[in-house]
Amino acid sequence: MMTKRILVVDDEPSVTRNLKLTLESGGGYEVLGENNATNTLSTARAFRPDLVLLDVMMPGLDKGDVAARLRADPLLRDTPIIFLTALVSNEETDGHEMSSGAETFLAKPVDIGELRQTLEDHIRR
Amino acid sequence: MLVVVGLLLGLIAAVGWVDYVTGVEVSVSLLYLIPIALGSWVAGRSVGIILALASTGVWLAVDLLAGHAYGHWFIPLWDTLMTASSFLVVAVLLGTLREVNEGLEQIVARRTKALQAENAERRRAEEDLTQALTDVRKTHAELQRTQIQLIEAAKAESIGRLATGVAHEVKNPLMTLSLGVDYFLGRKPENPDQAQLVQDMKEAVLRASNVINVLLDYSRPRPLQRTSEDIHNIIENSLALVRHQLNKQNVTVVRDFDTALPPLSLDRTRIEQVFVNLFLNAMQAMPPGGTLTVRTFASTPFWSDSDPPAGVIVEVDDTGHGIMPQHVAKLFDPFFTTKPPGQGTGLGLAIVRRIMEIHGDSIHLGNRKEGGARATLQFNTQPNATL
Repeated sequence: MMTKRILVVDDEPSVTRNLKLTLESGGGYEVLGENNATNTLSTARAFRPDLVLLDVMMPGLDKGDVAARLRADPLLRDTPIIFLTALVSNEETDGHEMSSGAETFLAKPVDIGELRQTLEDHIRR
Repeated sequence: MLVVVGLLLGLIAAVGWVDYVTGVEVSVSLLYLIPIALGSWVAGRSVGIILALASTGVWLAVDLLAGHAYGHWFIPLWDTLMTASSFLVVAVLLGTLREVNEGLEQIVARRTKALQAENAERRRAEEDLTQALTDVRKTHAELQRTQIQLIEAAKAESIGRLATGVAHEVKNPLMTLSLGVDYFLGRKPENPDQAQLVQDMKEAVLRASNVINVLLDYSRPRPLQRTSEDIHNIIENSLALVRHQLNKQNVTVVRDFDTALPPLSLDRTRIEQVFVNLFLNAMQAMPPGGTLTVRTFASTPFWSDSDPPAGVIVEVDDTGHGIMPQHVAKLFDPFFTTKPPGQGTGLGLAIVRRIMEIHGDSIHLGNRKEGGARATLQFNTQPNATL
């Protein structure tokens, strides 16, 4: 099975660090954490992830801007983005795409099983 | 009037005849006063004067016919003048008395009428005042309701801000903890205690996360997914969700359903949440072996004159300790709980009311006369929801 690359963009270093640790320890993923959202595009271009996990609420940045920049890039436009958010309940997201657009939200704290399932579903698409 | 005068003149003639038959008898002459007095009182002063003059004429005629002998010619003239004066005095006095009486009666009538008008005016003013008082009371009640709504809205807004802040500040650390716990759960534990410790940590993270989720749900309710529902199906589903606890506490469930109720447009999941919360609260308030009664019936809210009834009422009764008077005003306040620490977030009833409100429906909690508490839920068959 090929290792999939996941870029995690979150201003909390403990979140990126632990996501990397947990996902990589289960095998099948190579995770790179980025705590500075303004570097997202350059980091992504260098890393060429199979999927981006993007925190919704980061200081000074709109998640739409970051996502729009990623989608505007010819190298990254097909890379799926999953949004992580502290502002909705798990019950609301339930791993499903929310009605506000064809975007997937996962509520923090994420269940690792649910996260793996969502990653697999989106990378396979 | 003419008939009366005619009759009285007849009476004068009759008295004249008696006068003539009885001869010179002064007491008989006094009988002339009867028709004069009657005439003056009944028909007025003028008629009285006419009758007095007529009586004097009759009296003089009788006197002349009787052929009495007088010592001097002046005596019969003097008698006639005296008699006429007496008759006229009686006629004028009674006539005047009658006029005064009539005047008084008119004054009394006028004053009575004025008093009646005044009374009517007072009654109208009183009615106006009563109406104004009712209006003021109504306005006051509306103001109170608005004030409560404003306070609730302000509370909801504060809680919304709090929820957003707390969610951001707490969920990120929780995410770190959760990932750490998941990491350890994926590894072989060194001993059973370690495995238990990690499992407890996982549950603690989930519990903390749930509290924040409930808070988020309360502060920013999701749009309703309305479908046409039979309220009894929702109640049965909710009872099924708490069946385990019901059995554990040996609670008897009594269903008193009006099966002819119309379907309601509701968000099934949210209303199930309402019933589950109410059933759990009822169970927690009862000692083991209590009775939970769920009653449904059709009802028209007091503000509606709809026929058939525009509402459905669901009552949830328990046989517990009831609601303490000092808790009544706070029951729906977020974070208000009477349960021991760690056993309730204090958001259950706040969310129940929120869900009812966004449906455009209402809930009331109170004590039953027989003991225990009653939750009364009012659903409208014509939804007027805010979401």
